[in-house]
Order: sequence, then C-alpha cells, then structure tokens
Amino acid sequence: MTRLRDNRDDIVAVAVAGRVSDARLHRQLLWMDDSGRSCVLPGTGGVVLGLHVGDRINDREADHAMVGASVEDAGANLDDPGALHLLSCLGNRVRDARGVALGVVAGKRGGLAPRAFPPSLVAVEATDERLTSLVPGDRIVVEAEGRGLGLCDFPEVSLANCSPRLLDQLPLQASRGRLEITVKIIIPARFAGPGLGQDAWIGDLEIVSRHHPAVDLNDLRYGDLVAFQGIDSANNRFYRPGFVSVGVVSHGPSQWPGHGPGATIVLSGPAERIAPANDADSSVANCLRTWGAES
Amino acid sequence: MTADLQTNAGRLLTTRLVGVVQQPSAHVSVDPDGFARSLPGMGGVFVRPRIGDRAGGWMSDHLEVGASVSHPEPSADHALQVLACVGNRAQVLDGPAAGGIGTVVGKHAATMVSFSGDVLAALAPGERVMIDAVGVGLRIEYEPDIVFHSCSPVLLPLFAPSRTGDGRLRVKVARVLPPEAAAAGIGMAAHSANLDLQVDQLAGTVGAADLRFGDLVAVEGHEHRYGRQPRDAWIAVGAICHGRSVGGGHGLGLVTLLTAPTNRVAIEVTPDASLASLELPGAEA
Repeated sequence: MTRLRDNRDDIVAVAVAGRVSDARLHRQLLWMDDSGRSCVLPGTGGVVLGLHVGDRINDREADHAMVGASVEDAGANLDDPGALHLLSCLGNRVRDARGVALGVVAGKRGGLAPRAFPPSLVAVEATDERLTSLVPGDRIVVEAEGRGLGLCDFPEVSLANCSPRLLDQLPLQASRGRLEITVKIIIPARFAGPGLGQDAWIGDLEIVSRHHPAVDLNDLRYGDLVAFQGIDSANNRFYRPGFVSVGVVSHGPSQWPGHGPGATIVLSGPAERIAPANDADSSVANCLRTWGAES
Repeated sequence: MTADLQTNAGRLLTTRLVGVVQQPSAHVSVDPDGFARSLPGMGGVFVRPRIGDRAGGWMSDHLEVGASVSHPEPSADHALQVLACVGNRAQVLDGPAAGGIGTVVGKHAATMVSFSGDVLAALAPGERVMIDAVGVGLRIEYEPDIVFHSCSPVLLPLFAPSRTGDGRLRVKVARVLPPEAAAAGIGMAAHSANLDLQVDQLAGTVGAADLRFGDLVAVEGHEHRYGRQPRDAWIAVGAICHGRSVGGGHGLGLVTLLTAPTNRVAIEVTPDASLASLELPGAEA
C-alpha cells in the first residue's frame, strides 16, 4: 500500500481528561421494540467485559453496546458533547489516572439530535485484565490526535474521528485521482438513520435496515469498515447524492424501531474521489485490538 | 364523522394543559460547508411567516410556525409534548392577547400553536397558553395497522374523510416524498417532536421545495407506529410544522399524524391538502 501524502506533521496532540461513564438507561428514549413490546437491555455506558473489537455485533442481547469502557467528558451536560468527545479519534491512546496505558479509542456513539439527546460516549478497547480494574467515575486521559488531519492530494475528502495511525491502516489506495477503499458492506442512503443531522465529530451513523434483509448485517463485527452511499459527512451528516461516507462499526444493534448498529465515520467525500468496493475482510479490528493491549 | 369511519373518538379523554410561550433561541448551527450561522427559528412567536405561507427560503433555522409553547417542569412538558394533538384548540391566558383562540399545528422541541395574525402580533414569550388536549389513543375500529399520532379527532375527517370502494382509508396529502427525504427524527418516538425532511436534495421529486407550513405530506417507505423507521410497503403522513435548517441532515419538520401499510390507504394528492385549508381557529391561511 502506497502511503498517501497527508498533513500529519502539522497536526497537534492534546491530552483530554474525562471519566469512565456510568451505565445509564435514558428515560427520554423509547424503550420498546418494533412490535411495541417493552424492551430494556444493557449496553449504554459503563464498563463491558468480554466484548472486544473483532467480535460479532449480533452475538449479545444488548442495546447499542460498545466494546470495553465507555468514557465521556467529566461534568459535561449529557446532551452536549465536550472536548473529549469532539477531539477523540479512533486509534488514540488512552491512559488511566495513574498515567498507565489503558487502551485505545475504538468508536463513538452519539445521540439523536444536536444538543437534545444523550448519550455522547467514546469506546475504549482494552484487555479484560485492565478493564477489570476500572469503575464508573474513574479518571482517564485521551491523547487526542487527528483533528485537522487531511490528505494533501485529496482536498475534497474529509477525514474525521481518524488518528494518523488509523489512517495508515485503512485499506486505501490512490488510483487515477480516486481513493479506492474496501469495505465489508455498502449501505444505500435510505438506510442511514440516527446520526443524520449531527456534527461529523459526534457519535456515529446507524444502519436501519432491519426490515430489508437484502442488507446483510449478520456477520458484521466491531471494527469492520462500512460505506454509506449518498451520505456527506464533511461537516454534518446528511443525504447528498453523489457522496460517500466510510465508517468503522462502533456499536451493536438495537431492538428499538429506527435504530441499528452504528459506524463512526472516518472518511467522506464525493464519489468521484472515493470509490468503495466490497471485501468481506475489510476491517481495522486487528490493529485496534493490538493497540488496545499495548503498554 | 362520516358513517363508514367508525372511530373511538367518543371514548377519548380531553385533558386541559397549560404551557408557556418560549423565549426564542439564538443557537449556532454549522452548515454543510462548515460555516457557523445563527438564525432565529426555534422558540418565540412568529408573526411572519404564518401557517399557509411557504416553509422554505426564510433566513431561519428550524422555524417553529406560530407560537412555541412548553412547560418548565420536565414531566409536565413531556405531557404537553405527547398529549397535545394537531387540531386541538388553544387559548391565550395572559397578557394583551388573552382570550385569543388558536389551534395546535405541530411539535418540535416545543408544541406549536397557530393563532390569527392579530393574536400573534400581541403575544409574547412568558405568557401562558392553555390547550385542551385530545387525540392520543385515537383509532379506527377494526383497523389495527392504521396508527395515529398527534392527531385530534377533529382533524381526522378533514384529511381522511372516508373509505374507497375497496375499503381503504382515503388520505389527502399535498405531496408524496421518497424515503431518502427522511433525516433527523429517525429512531425517535413517533408520538412526539417530528421527522426532519431534507427536501433540498430531492432533485427528481416534483414540488418538494415549495412546501408550505401546514401542508400534509406523505413519506413513502416509512413506518411510524412506535419509532420512526424506514420500511417498505408502509407510509407515514404528517403536517409541515417547522422550516428549513442551517445544518445538513435537517429540514422541514413533519409532525407524524398517521402511519399505515400502503395497502390500507389510498393516498390522494391535492394541492390544498393543508391545515391552512381546514378552517381551524387561528390556523386559517
């Protein structure tokens, strides 16, 4: 893979402090399934043991579950993400209160509308041994790096939520003025759901294709790459024919109507510049899992 | 109510609610090109535009037509947000506009109430509005798959007056939009707030860009029984209650009124399918 030219020498790294989030059940959300049956499952916030990048998203009875520890801005209004959420990038190192390596940022989850709906969580992939020592409220520090990152030869392409080292691991190749990228699935715009209308740096974009089995999410795993056709995510995520957004699967499915697994968007631009192609193995799970165990 | 539409309207409870006209918001939104803009729209009292006026084009963000009413206590506000239904009668309680009669026309962050131009001109944030809320629980007997939200019994026969010969519910709308129009609001509870319709990217859809406040609109391939979601062979119908947005992924607000399998309804497109044409007090064009 040829290294693409980027501006990583000019971007800054900044420490952001936050906390391990509490597990929460938000009362303003709709706790029912597609048939109107009461449906309460864990998945939001807290520390999850035994769920890691690379695992299948459909293997658990959970709601919007993310891997490892969910972290957040300390003292923030839950509806309104702060610097930790807005600066964290996939691949960023996370350390604990003692300054010891904890893990790596592996995903984000956001609410339904700007300023109005929680949660705003960042997933930290780490070993179970390290996660076992954490409790909600613990202080953590994200070594945030990636905001401002761009590709010198592709100014129309926007990067978001992407650290330089994750960029190096994306299955990208420049060819005849286009960036070719492989993804596990390509999702039509009409199945983009919650996360539309949000800032590009908040949370994720959900795949709401439950009633359309032609979109096969069965083997989807945390860390897989997916592409949304007809979605622009440069500044805020919205339907725009002729644009493509590529993301990393960051949270699992939900039984709630109009919800589904989410991908944190890392790359977005016009289709003349980004060409997604299917590859069942397209994933950044291996590197995220390795980084999560680094000391 | 026409004879062939047997509803449970007589069994519904009318609850008197009170809310307060909100102070307008001066929030900042970022547009798709990354520029931050602050434009009025949410909260307050809009004297112009009114129901029946064009919804797009105004220098505004999520413009809530009429007066935006909410309650300072969260549970009471939730009741106002869920129980108030489009077509419910409202009355100003305080201030120079006291006694003015209006109609609930939409839901967003607040509940929107339309009044006549004279009442709106005299109304101000902080004044109280009373709403006689009725409509939650409304159904047509023997039609379990036709689900209503935020739809008052008064409103129903005005846009869904009768059945076709083969038994489908006739539903009048001004426009039918494709599922790609649906943006923010997917995954939210269908009984409150609304679905944003991003009409500016629908190049092939006739008339999407010239919708008016109060227009009744159908979204194809959408099911809104519990939460709003894309689903083939279903349709969702609502009324346009807030204006365009600065940010991408937002747009004209559609308060959900009805959802049904497409084979239970007969959608009739007629340009005058609008709340503004229904002679609701304070909501006349």
